[in-house]
Amino acid sequence: MNKLTLRLKEQPTVPLEAEVLSPDTFAELSNEEIRSKTVYHGKRQCRLDDFFDVDGERSDDVEIHGDLHRVRWIGREMSRGRITVHGSVGMHLGAYMKGGEIEVHGNASDWIGAEMRNGLIRVHGNGGGQIGAGYRGSLKGMRGGTIIVDGSAGLEVGMRMRRGMIVLGGPAKDFTGLQMKGGTIVLLAGAEIRTGAWMMRGTIISLKPIQMMPTFSYACRYTPDVLRVYSRRLKELGVSLPYAPQDGAYKLYSGDASVPGKGEILVWDALSA
Amino acid sequence: MYWGGNPAECHPRHFTKYALMPKSKFLPRGRKDRTAVLVDIRPTKSAKAADIFLQVRPGKDFELITILRALIKDQKVSEEAVAETGITLEQCTDLIERMKKAKFGCVFFGMGLSMTRGKHMNSAALLTLAAEMNAFTKFVAMPMRGHGNVTGADVIMRWQTGYPFGITFNRGYPRYNPGEFSTVDVLVRGDADAAFIIGADPGATMPQPAIDHLARIPTIVLDPHVTHTSNLAKVHITTAPAGIAAPGTAYRMDEIPLPLKPALKSPYPTDEEVVRRIKQAIVKKPFWMPEGAQMTAAQV
Repeated sequence: MNKLTLRLKEQPTVPLEAEVLSPDTFAELSNEEIRSKTVYHGKRQCRLDDFFDVDGERSDDVEIHGDLHRVRWIGREMSRGRITVHGSVGMHLGAYMKGGEIEVHGNASDWIGAEMRNGLIRVHGNGGGQIGAGYRGSLKGMRGGTIIVDGSAGLEVGMRMRRGMIVLGGPAKDFTGLQMKGGTIVLLAGAEIRTGAWMMRGTIISLKPIQMMPTFSYACRYTPDVLRVYSRRLKELGVSLPYAPQDGAYKLYSGDASVPGKGEILVWDALSA
Repeated sequence: MYWGGNPAECHPRHFTKYALMPKSKFLPRGRKDRTAVLVDIRPTKSAKAADIFLQVRPGKDFELITILRALIKDQKVSEEAVAETGITLEQCTDLIERMKKAKFGCVFFGMGLSMTRGKHMNSAALLTLAAEMNAFTKFVAMPMRGHGNVTGADVIMRWQTGYPFGITFNRGYPRYNPGEFSTVDVLVRGDADAAFIIGADPGATMPQPAIDHLARIPTIVLDPHVTHTSNLAKVHITTAPAGIAAPGTAYRMDEIPLPLKPALKSPYPTDEEVVRRIKQAIVKKPFWMPEGAQMTAAQV
């Protein structure tokens, strides 16, 4: 299928809210119609081609080039197709996403995949805070889909998430899995303090030792069978998760007793060779 | 119960006028009918006024409140885990017992809680604890505010927009997202291209990157005095000091509106008058929206 290429030609001076940057919008539109779509530069309504060069039409395979760190809401509520970004992106990348795929070769900001339902988001740089989280006042965060961030992440990753998976290659800051209600967070490089605070259900897997909240209690050391399934799925996405008994096992901590919840934190405990 | 605050030195009238001393129908003996607990990282002057002082380890407030939330639901927490907060399990269970026995519990929290690591989640933890205590007895939590009329700003924004702070109007209707739209974050990221400051001095309190951005963009300050912010602002308009030379309404910490009558006359205009005149001048300018665009009520 033909590709639609957008190139940022003018750096916005204030945040640019561009939820039109989504395959759902572009799939049925001609080049002229795409150019005339509205983006919000602060309070001002502008045309998309005030900021972007648009090349191609009627495509759900979108490629965006440029430093988009001030461009927000890319791929909002998208349900199909693909967005590839070469450069950094701003907040709310793939928020409310229902399907399709987003790949970012650069850094992303806060609220990646917030309240998403399905699809795949892959960020090769660093992420921000509130990845896959629920918006303020909302009871549920992401309800499905997968988010993979190769780099580090900020505060409140997976806050109130309900289902789905978040994989972080780099370290996360405080409150990872805050008020989690389900789903899985995989921390390949651990997290700072208060991981899993107030979690009701769900699983946090950490390959590095992490500081535990006092309301979590140690249960046992084992490798749940489901890890094999996770490992197979993550291998397709280029992430390796150890599960072989000769390499080690996971320490299971359950909590958070304050809610009281049935969440589990699995911390990899390698057998020293 | 005071958490992370020092009312003896910061709110000197709080004990005698509101929280500890007053005699009432149900508390005829005043101070003797009340139990005061202070939780802080060091014994301050307020500790003398409290019946119980709990010294929590710095940065362990969130953990301690979470433990208390577990304990009020009769969940087990290991003694070693509790001891890490600097408070023993025994002290915690004693505190819980007193809280449950109380007829009306009130928690006041200060900047020691809300401005240390964890920030809004520390406050959220305490507010949740107070909410959950209502399963046993009446309990409320209230922040101990610092500056003049911050409560007023929160209250007004709340009834005007539905949200207390961190609001944007750029789409013509209020949207709320602290962290994205709150002043400090907007300035630190450099997302604003102009700033209009009334009755505040961010130049003295905000982090350096935010101050640098204020100096970069056109900043307009309305203040009775020359402040740190006016030194880096492009425009400073001297106004009459509110409550002294300008009338108005201030909100007390417990959200009671208090009318203020001016005692003196000032040669300077009030904040309200300046804002009204700026608005009149803006109306005279050509309309900023593209032709044919719809305008919503909030943009008028």
